[in-house]
Amino acid sequence: MALDEAHLLGLGPLGQEDRVLRFTTWSPAGTSLGYFQKLTDLTQLPEGPIVRRQTGGGAIHHADELTFSFAAPDSDPLYSGPVAESYTRIHGLLSAALRDLGLESEPRAEQTLASEHPDSGMCFAKSSRFDLIWPNGDGRPAKGVGSAQRRRGGRVLHHGSIKLRADPYERDVAVVERDARAILDAWLPHLGRAQVALEESAISPAELAHCRARAEHFTLR
Amino acid sequence: MRPDDRKYTKTHEWVKQDGDTVVVGITDHAIEALCSGNVGDLVYCDLPAAGRTLDAGETFGEIESVKAVSDLNAPVAGEIIETNAAIEDHLEILSDDPWNKGWMIRIKPSGKGLDDASLMDAEAYEAHTAS
Repeated sequence: MALDEAHLLGLGPLGQEDRVLRFTTWSPAGTSLGYFQKLTDLTQLPEGPIVRRQTGGGAIHHADELTFSFAAPDSDPLYSGPVAESYTRIHGLLSAALRDLGLESEPRAEQTLASEHPDSGMCFAKSSRFDLIWPNGDGRPAKGVGSAQRRRGGRVLHHGSIKLRADPYERDVAVVERDARAILDAWLPHLGRAQVALEESAISPAELAHCRARAEHFTLR
Repeated sequence: MRPDDRKYTKTHEWVKQDGDTVVVGITDHAIEALCSGNVGDLVYCDLPAAGRTLDAGETFGEIESVKAVSDLNAPVAGEIIETNAAIEDHLEILSDDPWNKGWMIRIKPSGKGLDDASLMDAEAYEAHTAS
């Protein structure tokens, strides 16, 4: 999460023009709190480390999931204009990738979801009309991809989670039931066709220093 | 055309002279970008306490919609002497009346105030949002 913050701040080699796509799987599993959340907002506190995101919304238990974080200037074609439009672009590219894997997803729009447990404090237990949904294990429409953005100093950080398998802390969600690599392999060609930069790069010294400074404030438990 | 009795920032705040103080809020464009016409999408606004001193451009608070958190930036330098606490419990004020009841903070300016060349008049801001 500290590295995502460094990307939001534009500490990479191209500074404010830096564009980063980052994909993460988790070991051990951990929980991230939304930017404004308190621990007491969660009715059930998952086991494992707890971190805070720069993005808002509810808590996420990161276990069997593919986490993605994209950071770029807000003038980037992926993010320009209203927040809603940038969600539609990013989730549209992801939905196309899931279709390639045989999974039909769609934006929630006004549908009622089986995954709604709004008092839990968890992200996947609430939804917005932009979240991607498909049938869960019980065949009922449920949230399978959740995202949130942070806009700061002319840059955008877009965080998202794609649920791969059922999770006791994320009840009734929709899952892909494929490994993270399969999703990535399906998604990258769509991102490339949308002219999203896909060159690999190392973590810059400034980004690393930012993460080390942040780490001094936290102790994993 | 937006009100021409105030100045605007590139990051979509407005600032208006009121006696020897200025009041600050965010524009209809900022609100529309966050919630696309869905008033209920604004969920949280964090404003500072009076007494804090700000530099021009410094982040003074944050606003959260269901899908994004955005910074609120000070158009001018100075000391915050009052905040509009009503907003934090009634975010619909921002959508209903961003230009008057939706003011966020009142500042006693310490620098150039509204004479800062980086601030835009309504016509320039109109062009900025259209670009």
